[in-house]
This record gives sequence, C-alpha cells and structure tokens, in this order.
Amino acid sequence: MSAYPETVVDKILQVTLQSNKFAYLAIDEKGRLVSQGGEIAATGLPQWEPGQSILDEALFLSGYVPMSRDYEFIAAFQAGNGPIVDIHLFRDQEQIWIILVDKTSDMEWESAARQNANELRLLQQQTQRQPVASDQDTDPHTQFDFFESLNMMALRANDDGSFERLEPVSDRFKRLYPESAESARALYPQQKFPFVENFLVDATEVWEAGDSERRIRSGPWVETDGGCEVALEAIALYWKGNRLLFLEVLDESYRLNQSFLQMGREGVLLNRVLEDEVRKQTREIRAREEEIALRLVCAADSRDDGETGSHIRRLGLYSELIAQHLGWNDADAEEIRIAAPMHDIGKIGIPDHILKKPGQLTESEFEIMKLHPEIGGRILSNSKTPLVQMARDICLGHHEKWDGSGYPHALAGEKIPISARIVAIVDVFDALIHKRVYKDEMPVDKAVALMLEGRGSHFDPDLLDLFIRLKEQMTEIAFDYSNPIGDDLSKAASIIDDIHLLRPGD
Amino acid sequence: MSKFKVCMLGAFAVGKTSLVQRYVHSIFSERYQTTLGVKIDKKNLQLDGRSIEFILWDLAGEDDFINVRSSYLRGSAGGVLVADGTRAETLDIVFELRDKLYHEVGEVPVILIVNKSDLSDNWTIDSQRLQALRDAGWQVIETSARDSSNVDQAFETLAGQLLQPVS
Repeated sequence: MSAYPETVVDKILQVTLQSNKFAYLAIDEKGRLVSQGGEIAATGLPQWEPGQSILDEALFLSGYVPMSRDYEFIAAFQAGNGPIVDIHLFRDQEQIWIILVDKTSDMEWESAARQNANELRLLQQQTQRQPVASDQDTDPHTQFDFFESLNMMALRANDDGSFERLEPVSDRFKRLYPESAESARALYPQQKFPFVENFLVDATEVWEAGDSERRIRSGPWVETDGGCEVALEAIALYWKGNRLLFLEVLDESYRLNQSFLQMGREGVLLNRVLEDEVRKQTREIRAREEEIALRLVCAADSRDDGETGSHIRRLGLYSELIAQHLGWNDADAEEIRIAAPMHDIGKIGIPDHILKKPGQLTESEFEIMKLHPEIGGRILSNSKTPLVQMARDICLGHHEKWDGSGYPHALAGEKIPISARIVAIVDVFDALIHKRVYKDEMPVDKAVALMLEGRGSHFDPDLLDLFIRLKEQMTEIAFDYSNPIGDDLSKAASIIDDIHLLRPGD
Repeated sequence: MSKFKVCMLGAFAVGKTSLVQRYVHSIFSERYQTTLGVKIDKKNLQLDGRSIEFILWDLAGEDDFINVRSSYLRGSAGGVLVADGTRAETLDIVFELRDKLYHEVGEVPVILIVNKSDLSDNWTIDSQRLQALRDAGWQVIETSARDSSNVDQAFETLAGQLLQPVS
C-alpha cells in the first residue's frame, strides 16, 4: 500500500515512466518495500511485494540503509552481468527513495534522470507536508540541499529581476560564479552569463504561465572556467508560486553527448572522403577503359584513310554533347563518348581492296561493306558491361534509318537504339564537313541543309532538331579537332591525351 | 563601449570554433572537436577610436543531427556566416542560416567567411561563385583559422558594419 495519495503516485509514475531505463523504489528504514515503479526489470532487480524486505537481495544497499545522510549516490553500480545503473538514495523522514538510472546506453538519460529525481523529490516533499500544510511548504530554501551534490545551483527569481540563491552552492559554482558565494539574495546570473540572459525570455514565459507541469531546458552551453571549458544547462520551472531557475554543470553527460555527435559527424566526413576517393578511382578506371578502347579502335582502323583517328575522336565528343542535352547523367554521357568511336570496328573484317578503294564501290563490294555493322556487333556481343553493350548497339544500328530503309536489320523509329540514332547523325555530319580522299569538305550550313532532307526518313527528327540547335558547339568540336592523324599509333596516344585534358575533375 | 552579440553560423566542421579561438585567443588546434550547444566568448577591440565588445556565440554546426535553435539567435546584432572552401555544399547551408537569422532578428549586418584558404588547392567553391556573391552585395572574406590570414580583418569588417549608422 502506497504511503502517498493516489494522485501523487500517478504523478511519480508519470515522471519516472518518461524513461524506460529508469526505476524507483521506496522502502522504510527496515528495508521493507513501500512502493516501486518504472522499469524494475530493466535494472536487473527482482519484483518485490509491498512489505517485503529487499535488503537481502538488493546488496548494493549494504552500508546505506538505514541512511545516515539525506542523500547518497552510488555511481555506475553493476550487479553480476546486469546493467550498469547509477543509484540515488534520498532519505525522507521515515522512508528512503531509491532511484535507479540505467547507464549502459545513451548517456543522455543522465541529465533527464537527474531532473526526474529532482522532480520526484519535490513531489515527495510536497506530499509529506500536505497533512500539515503551512507557510513553510512554499519556502524552497529547505528543499534544495541535495542540488549541491548534483552540481546544480537553484535560484528563485525576485520581482526586481534579481535572483535569490537557494543554499547551498557547490564549490564548482563558487569557482565558476564567485558572486554566488558572496551574496545569496541579489544575484544577476543573466549579467554573468549572456546565455542565461537569452534564456530568461523563454523562462519568463514558463513562469508567467504558472503551470507546474511545464519546465523548459535551455540546451547546453559552454563557459570557460580558468582555461577549462565547463558545460552548463539552465532549467526553468514554476513551483508553488516560486519562479525557479536551475543551473546545472553537465560534465560527463555533455562529454558523452559531444562524443556521440562527434562520432556521427566524423563518420559523415569520412564517408565524404571515401566517396571522393571512389569517384577518383572510378574516373581512373574509366580513363583506362577509354584509353584501351581508343587504342584498339585506332589499331583496327589503321588500314583506313588518314582522317579516321580524329574522326572517331570527334564522334565521341559530338555524341557526348547530344547526350548531355538529352539530360543523360554524367556516367551515361561519358559512356557514349567512349562507345561511339567503336561504331566502325566491324570494318576490321572488310578486305583491304574494298576498304581502301579510292573510287566508288561496286554493288557487290558495297554488299560486303554493309556487313561491317554485324561484324562489329559480333565482336562486341555477349558482354555484360554496359559500355560494351552500348558500343554493340551503336555498331549494329548506326546505319539503320528512321524510316526502316537502313541496314543491316531495317529497324525503324525507336526500335533503333538511341545511342545508334545519335551516332548516325554525327557520323554523317562529320563525314560531310571533312575532306576525304574521294571528296571535298562541305560547308557546315550546306551539310546541315542536306541532312535536313533526311529528317524523319534517315534521321530521328527530334534528335536532328536537337543536333541543329547545337550546331555552333558541334562546329567548334569539328574544327578544334580537325588535324588529320593518320594511322600512327603514337599519334593515337596524343588523341587520348587530349581527351584526358577534356575531362574535368581529374 | 558598444556591445554586440554576434552569432557564428555555418555547417559543422567549417571552422567556426577555430575562427573564434584564433580571433579571441590567438590559438589554433589541428584536432577537430565538434561543438555541442553554444560556446560564448568575448573580444574587445578598438575601431576608429571606438571601443567594441563582441559577444561571440559560437553555435553548434547545422547538419542532420543538429538544427540551430532560433532562440539562440535572439538579440543578435550581426552574424558571421562560415563556409568551408573545400566543401561546396557548406555554402548552401550558409544561405539557409542567413534566412533563419534574418527571420529571427531582421536584416542585421552579416559577413560571409569562406574558411580554410590554406587548403585552397582543394577548394570546391570556385572563385566565380564567390565573385557572383560579391557582385550581389555579399561581404565575402576568405580566411584561414590555421594560418590566421584575414581572420582579424573579417571581424573588423563586421565591426565596421555594426558601427555604421542605420540609414
């Protein structure tokens, strides 16, 4: 049977049960249980019946019960393999209150537990005094002795803006706030601590509400004490007509919370460093892939005319530009830059006398030449690498036409992969505006006009429109990279070097 | 003496605490220690024959873990917005914090410090972006808390703005 009125028990439960890592016991001087609450099981202690003596099982109480002082604190107690708990013992006339706070995990609870303990104490004393209500009930001077042991200073606001210190003040506060030791009745912590001045705006709101259910915490702030940093927190609450302000030194709980935050943030910073490193490595791998691809393409095309090296370089750049304006992501746009140069790799299977023939091909020779997309497709088939898959699509599809009249499979419209439709446009453009052994170069505008005749028949109309919108940039690429390269592999390497220079961020 | 509450605002690990340490105590630590809550420091200076006391509120950096409490900004006379030149995303947070400050106290003087100029080779905030901010009226100062470059100048610039008569 509880010694307290039911409403107060409810209040105690409400306060203590805010934490699932918090429990309390009330016992008499002989160690018999009066009441208990909170998460007793979480503390590793057994459930006792009211009236049952707990001293035999609660060995941590040895030497503390009966209590010779008003308050005792047992830090970080652990029974066997049970959880680590901080234990607060308060003597209250004929009863002893035991507050157990789980310390095994989030240490943020330490501060909350202290506050809960304080509130319990207030409630307990309030209850004890109810039957003999007097003016003394509302005098907080006699209520706050134990704050000294909690490194907490209790102050009561006066009407004139000053504060009255509720005795005693700990040595810690005497050092941090010497004025508090000199005067008890007219302190101005808001002048000493700018943070408190700021907090008083919120505190006043709580006090004016006159609601003892409300309290407000400032959050931590740091002051310097003799070169050392001291973390504090302010708490404001209203209690029985008193406007109370508590200043608490946070110590361990602050450092632990700071450590947790620091770990989290260092993790974020480390992730960022790792992501940067992954990006860098990916760029290096991609550059290696590109270099190998270009060297092989240059080698394969070395039998062709001298324009081939720079032609394939431009094709990649034109295609990348279109892909960027289609909204492709950087990786995909980069992929088409590398894949597009492989569009004619199937020419490796075309005999020299056809490939290098200076004049117009006969019908039968052209039929053989038309095999190069499929030869290229076979070379690049069965790959699981997206880059090679795209290169295969381009090989197979760059001679297909939008209206289905192309080769090798007479695909039409969007059945032709978009990468191939892009390369179909830029391949023709580049061929038209550059000189070949069998033809002169064509002015850009004339080439574009000619290509427009193939809009919707040869070329994807939307892509062609985009290409024409990008004509200026296309022309820049065409003339910036127009030097004939020939079939010299060492010159191919210089192409690769140039491409590296184009890539941002390396 | 004129007293001014000035809030240091920015993402975490941009160097707010290091800037205050450098400015107030002339020290710098290579060790990163995150700020929890608020650190308050004071600095007296003379500018154009006038005495000024800065009350510097070094607020915990803004990120997914911590949001700057609006109540901390109350009463600010000015703000020092800090970005890390090596982390371009910290500049975006600066804009959000400036809005928060303005919302709480109105359009008080602010300066933008882009810190870690000693690591300028690794900067990801490019000079064009900073120039665009300057053109838009921002007071942008590139500093290094590590080698102290421009730190005093940054705070003095803010002091100069704070002392200007309100038009």
